Amino acid sequence: MLGALLVAGCSDRTTSPAAGTFTPRTAGVLTVVTSDIPSPGFWEGTPAAVTGGFEYELARRLAKRFGLRSVQVRTEHFNRIVEGRLDGADLALDLITPTSERERSLDFSYPYLNSAPTVVVRAGTAIPDLATAQNLRWGVVRGTTFVGIVNTLVGPDHPPRVYDDTAELVTALEDRQIDAVLLDMPLAVVTANRSHGRLTAAAQLPDAEMIAAAMPKGSGNQEAVDSAMRAFIADGTIDHLLRVWVGPTAANAETSIPLLQTTR
Amino acid sequence: MMVTLHALAIADITVKSPTGPAWEFLVLFLVVIVGPPLLENARLPGIIGLLLGGYVIGPHGLNLIGAGNTTVPELGQLGLLYLMFVAGVELDIGLVRVHRRAVVLFGLAAFGFPMLFGSAVGFSMSWSAPAAILLGSLMASHTLLVYPTVREVGLAAHRAVATAVGATVLTDTASLVVLAFVSGSQLEGGSLASIALQVVLGLVLLGVFCFVALPRLVLLGFRVLGTDRVVRYLLAVASFLAAAAFAASFGIEGIVGAFFAGLGLNRLVPNEGPLMERIDFFGSAVFVPIFLVSVGMLLQPRVMVQAETLKLAALFILASIGGKVVATFSSKRGLHLSTKETVLMLGLTMPQAAATLAATVIGFNIGLFDQSVVNAVLVLILVSIVAATLIVERVKTEVPVPMSGHQGLGNRVLVALEEPGQAQAAFAIGASIAARDGGIVRGLLASLPAEKRVREASLKDLRRVGFAIGVDVDPTLMVGSSFAEGVVNAAAQLEPSFVIVGQRGGTDPAFGGPGESIAASIPSPVAIMIGEAARIRQVLLVHAHESSNDDPYDSVGISAELASRVGGKSVTVVSPGLAADLTPGQLCIAPAPSLDALAGSDPPSGAALLVVLEPPAPPPPGGDRWLVSLREARI
Repeated sequence: MLGALLVAGCSDRTTSPAAGTFTPRTAGVLTVVTSDIPSPGFWEGTPAAVTGGFEYELARRLAKRFGLRSVQVRTEHFNRIVEGRLDGADLALDLITPTSERERSLDFSYPYLNSAPTVVVRAGTAIPDLATAQNLRWGVVRGTTFVGIVNTLVGPDHPPRVYDDTAELVTALEDRQIDAVLLDMPLAVVTANRSHGRLTAAAQLPDAEMIAAAMPKGSGNQEAVDSAMRAFIADGTIDHLLRVWVGPTAANAETSIPLLQTTR
Repeated sequence: MMVTLHALAIADITVKSPTGPAWEFLVLFLVVIVGPPLLENARLPGIIGLLLGGYVIGPHGLNLIGAGNTTVPELGQLGLLYLMFVAGVELDIGLVRVHRRAVVLFGLAAFGFPMLFGSAVGFSMSWSAPAAILLGSLMASHTLLVYPTVREVGLAAHRAVATAVGATVLTDTASLVVLAFVSGSQLEGGSLASIALQVVLGLVLLGVFCFVALPRLVLLGFRVLGTDRVVRYLLAVASFLAAAAFAASFGIEGIVGAFFAGLGLNRLVPNEGPLMERIDFFGSAVFVPIFLVSVGMLLQPRVMVQAETLKLAALFILASIGGKVVATFSSKRGLHLSTKETVLMLGLTMPQAAATLAATVIGFNIGLFDQSVVNAVLVLILVSIVAATLIVERVKTEVPVPMSGHQGLGNRVLVALEEPGQAQAAFAIGASIAARDGGIVRGLLASLPAEKRVREASLKDLRRVGFAIGVDVDPTLMVGSSFAEGVVNAAAQLEPSFVIVGQRGGTDPAFGGPGESIAASIPSPVAIMIGEAARIRQVLLVHAHESSNDDPYDSVGISAELASRVGGKSVTVVSPGLAADLTPGQLCIAPAPSLDALAGSDPPSGAALLVVLEPPAPPPPGGDRWLVSLREARI
């Protein structure tokens, strides 16, 4: 009987109605929207030819679980995505944090990452305390929750500069237009790792944020995506993808990056 | 729905809506305090109150504890492990031994039919094989939720009840093994062979850890560190956490480890002992309710009333309750039960709660089940509990209460001492006798009114002696002028299965002393211990020629049983004449009929004599042994 159980258990790892049913907008295709390609570690390649990355591979695993034959990727500005304009996609994977405001126009899946806002600075810049952090010139990406977080938790002396995307933000940091940027921890780790020593993840802020897939409001696919995310966390898929695409250091980042004590 | 108390600012005074751990725990504990009584007043099980309370405070209710909260789900996970540990530790393993044929027969049926029906339901809806099989396994287990009701009316020893209780060991173990295989099969990567090897190896090693290593380690811990009751409790908690962590390291769900740890420690934690009391207390006050509340937070009435969920729930109820009905009625003839007894057994095995809930939550967490399945299972749990309660309430008074038979000799061993010096040997003997039945040992120290202060100080020593042996004897002082009268009163209260009377040697001979008075006044078998032995190295059993019959419950039979329990296989049978020449380290067990040759001879220092007196005759049909005996008491 145990043998039969194992054979049965291993024979089918795709989804079943017990875990929710996924109905794609285009038959056989999972259509995913994101804002920046390339986005180091998360979306590699170009919008026309995505070659890998954590969220791209996550999309491929989702498609496989839902029995879909391919993944089609679209790009849209982050601001528009969080306003619910998914450009006809089944879901958005773009390191999106669910907020009550965003929940008015989107449905969110079970979170696949839990990530603390992390400060990236140029190598040689130290942030030992809040006063030092407040003296720095800060930059954030428009439309992200980090705009509010910098103002609330850090309260810098100068208002943070707002950039349209992560690439522009990191360039501004490297060009010394700003001194510190705030990113999700995995993205901060991979950005620092790929900067050839020019940038470093200097500190994390308290209160980790959840990161989830976003779906059109009223999507009938939420149960299926929720079950898939829970399964990917339980079976180690998320950890595996993080190690492969973000780097082995991502696993220890939570304990290795110092915590910046903030005003709260 | 979101309830928010906006910040209220009047002049410089600011009142904010409460947040943080203190607020969350307050909300949680209010549900635990208020939920069960509210439902019990409506004649519904309290467990439903906790589930509904979880819904009310959860993200789908008032959102007092939001979806992103990690404290309650993590505490709930601990509660789940606790629940499964308690389920294992409080099962009466002795019943499995006594009714093993009936237990195996009914256990296989009670597991097999619901498993078959549940899996069939899953496959019929085109579920994946792991999901369908997990559904079958969660229906195959059951929780003895209505057992206390049955026990209260004196039916605990009834064959139907004992069989249902014993079968629970089989059904729950088998269900959890299936869960281990299903969840193991969901691991990322690896071939079929490597996953099979990992799960099988994991289960074998987990079995060795829980049934061989853990009991020995915990017993050692009880002896070395266990003089503090808090430490004993923490050792029990640490043991199931260790087993859960051990299981998890092989990709097996922690609840399997926790349940196995409970079974492994079953005999070390007697159901009536103080440690079990503590485990039960903290479990029922904190951990288990928090788990149930955390499950209630998954409840979504919107999902629950959907046609799909209700259809699922109807199928689950049909498969689960139908499976138990087929299992009980197909076993009826084989177990020689009447229809009412069969219905009673059905009522006992119908409730789906602990293992079902655990397997469902795990199925949800590993992505096999969605919200509608969880909600349908919650409907099944609700229906099964209510139906079982109604069934048992109806038939419990119609099933004849069995005549009190001979309970296990070691269920409750009372050690009554005239002198604290005899504690070491008497407690060691008591612990050996109790061990086989997973029973308890209780200590009683006699004191004349004038000696009270001195003797009170000795109680601490007695407790320490007990802990060093590995048992919590919970000694009490018995102040009075008559040792025999005190023991009889205590026995009337404790209803012991066996009494050891530590009696002064020399001036107090075995016969004609308080021990004999006690034996004549209580229905329990009594043995008189004379002498002190710090350590028992050899057990001698006096061969009696005068055994009138083959009754295992006469003094000869009891002596043989005691010798086997205390001395194991290395018992030396001697003639009455040889027993007179004891050496230090020897314990001589002698049935009363052989005493002629021993009378008047005290054992030397370091040796002890245990004289087993003839137990009283069984009570008349329908009579209560204790009442009959107390009426005839002659002190």
